[in-house]
Amino acid sequence: MPDRPPAPITCTGLAKTHDNGVIALEPLDVTFAPGQTTALVGPSGCGKSTLLRLVAGLDQPSAGQVSIAGLPPARQAAKGAIAMAFQDPSLLPWLTLRRNIALARKLARQPADPRLVDELIGLVGLEGFQETRPAALSGGMRQRAAIARALATRPQVLLLDEPFGALDELTRRQLARDLPPLWQPLGTTTLLVTHSVDEAVLLSDRILVLSPRPARVVADLPVPLPHPRPVQVTESAAFRRIAAQALAALAQGVADSPALAAQ
Amino acid sequence: MTTLVRRAGPAVLLLAMWQLAAAVAAGQFVLAGPMAVLAWLADNPGLITRALSVTLTNAAWGFLAGNLAAVLIAVAGMLWPRALGLLTGLALVVFCLPLVATGPILRVMMGPGNGPQITLAALAVYYTTLIPLLAGLRAAPSVWFDLVASYGRGRLAALVHVRARASLPYLLAGLQIAAPAAFLGAMVGEFTGAERGLGVLTIRFTRDLDVPALWSVAIVAAGVSIAAYLAVGALGRRFRLERPPVILAPPRLSRGSAASRIGSATVLVLAVLALWWGGTEALHLNPFFARRPPDLLAALTSAPDAAATRQALLQAAAQTAALVLPGYLAGLALGAALAVLLFLAPVLSGLVTPLAIALRSVPIVTTAPLVVLLLGRGAPGTIALVALMVFFPTFVACQHGLGQAPGQILDILRGYAAGPLKQLVHVRIPAMLPAFFASARMGVPAAILAATVAEWLATGRGLGNLMVLSASVSDYTMLWLTVVLVTMASALCYGGVAWIERRVLRVFAPEQVDR
Repeated sequence: MPDRPPAPITCTGLAKTHDNGVIALEPLDVTFAPGQTTALVGPSGCGKSTLLRLVAGLDQPSAGQVSIAGLPPARQAAKGAIAMAFQDPSLLPWLTLRRNIALARKLARQPADPRLVDELIGLVGLEGFQETRPAALSGGMRQRAAIARALATRPQVLLLDEPFGALDELTRRQLARDLPPLWQPLGTTTLLVTHSVDEAVLLSDRILVLSPRPARVVADLPVPLPHPRPVQVTESAAFRRIAAQALAALAQGVADSPALAAQ
Repeated sequence: MTTLVRRAGPAVLLLAMWQLAAAVAAGQFVLAGPMAVLAWLADNPGLITRALSVTLTNAAWGFLAGNLAAVLIAVAGMLWPRALGLLTGLALVVFCLPLVATGPILRVMMGPGNGPQITLAALAVYYTTLIPLLAGLRAAPSVWFDLVASYGRGRLAALVHVRARASLPYLLAGLQIAAPAAFLGAMVGEFTGAERGLGVLTIRFTRDLDVPALWSVAIVAAGVSIAAYLAVGALGRRFRLERPPVILAPPRLSRGSAASRIGSATVLVLAVLALWWGGTEALHLNPFFARRPPDLLAALTSAPDAAATRQALLQAAAQTAALVLPGYLAGLALGAALAVLLFLAPVLSGLVTPLAIALRSVPIVTTAPLVVLLLGRGAPGTIALVALMVFFPTFVACQHGLGQAPGQILDILRGYAAGPLKQLVHVRIPAMLPAFFASARMGVPAAILAATVAEWLATGRGLGNLMVLSASVSDYTMLWLTVVLVTMASALCYGGVAWIERRVLRVFAPEQVDR
């Protein structure tokens, strides 16, 4: 059911140095295949979110470029091709759930589509809460709403910045099970930033393990597990093997980090 | 019933004390009790109603115009962030204009109608709305702006979808302070030669030493101001707007180097000069009333009486400073101290706080004649007036600030069985600092206004008196010189307080300056 053609993301020599001189990202060359979900895993502060923000066009690179289906992120964002969900659900407190989700289409300059909004509310399991304001929803419900909002524009690129990071373990697992089937059939190219190796293996087709800051790719692991993936898959030998590889790469990245070597 | 007693108790107590004091002071021509005020109002219903309706109408137009200007300046600042510094700088300079001197200038330029009253009312309100509004427009979490930007949308969309609604509680807090301030502006405008209104009655009764009439006018002005303040507050509750965390946030920290800060200050001064000179020329304002910068420069340097002019200005400035400084510092110290004291003795708080909130909304300047009646025409009366002008906003803001202490840090202290005094020193007073400095900053022009009004109406000394004297003998050069001097002093002191504020808040409330 993809509405738009899948869009590959290409980063060429992409680097970011912050205004205070901190190098967040070393020159990076990577391509994210259309329709694929890639998890970015790395230690805190390594530059995962910086990479995501560069792809979203929220920050400008110090060198290199990002291209989404041949266009710069700002152009794609203006066409409503990109959607982002943050660790903070960032729902506007004065709008009802329905209007929060509809806001995405308004921001993307797409025509209002109340049927799609209601359908999405149903898909994320929030029927009956359409007219509720965010303050009256639980953390998990708000995060579901944020994902529904991100999907409301039928984006070609979905950027998820630790969307389950602030939730308890049970809710995380539940959302990790319920939500990916919503975006996977859309054929969106998805980037997921996460701290959790298990979450990365469960949700993605590919894992990029990043080193401590400045970020560079220390491992590029395919996740050849079939979709859909029930939670029980986390106990399978294949799953554990990939998770172990990712963990080992993480540890190796930390050990090889010049900052740590200097200590 | 108990609620009624609790609510009406302080008011009844105040009325009783007031009546008692009037009885004690009978025959001294200083204080009229509530009974005398009621009697006067009952005897003169037509006079007071007509005057009140004129003042209210002027205040309402000024309120509308001033707040509209504040909203437009704030919106322009959000859409063109590079211009924000210059816009707020110009707004501050205009806010620092002494109403006592701009009143007569506006009067000669605009004639006998309601123009000056409405303009002064607008001038009295726009800055107190602009500052909280700007704080509110910037108060939203950055992730909301990321959300808007992730759809490729810019500042206008952020303003429409995020900032506008997020700033509403702040706007309302500003409007609440603006409502009584508009009344003050309109009355000061009426002091400067209007034909009708409460300000005109105040001048007349001061001259006649008609104590019951003077008290009645002041009570009506105070009552209307409190009602306006409460009405805007009720509007906020009606729409269930949350109360903003700090009513007046500090100015944005300038991240530039010292050189770039000096550069922006120079641009501001040049912009003020260009607007002043260009404006008077473009509008073909009569140079006899509307002096240009070169006229003032000549009066201070090359004119035959330049030395005498400088001497007169400096002497008046020294006299005013001698009243403003002690009054300002006393008002700040007493406001903060009482807030802290009431925090330690909450029993008293129930009695004092409602009164203080009500009295904060009274434009003290409109009651200046009463303070002068009670404390005489000398320095103590003026210092007390200045202190009162600063005291009430400081007290209310500090009380609010003390309540803003972060609960988790308080819990940690309680975990170590720290008593109220330790909680106060380590958590609550640091949490109070943003609110304290916000009132200290806004109190600077208010203190100068109070001093110049008192000098004008009563003491016969200082810059306020010099302004009135110059206006009465049509010495517009001297009048403009006092305007420039007071505006510069006000803006510099405001900047000085803001400088201290930034340094203190960087340590105690870094989130307030980094935003």
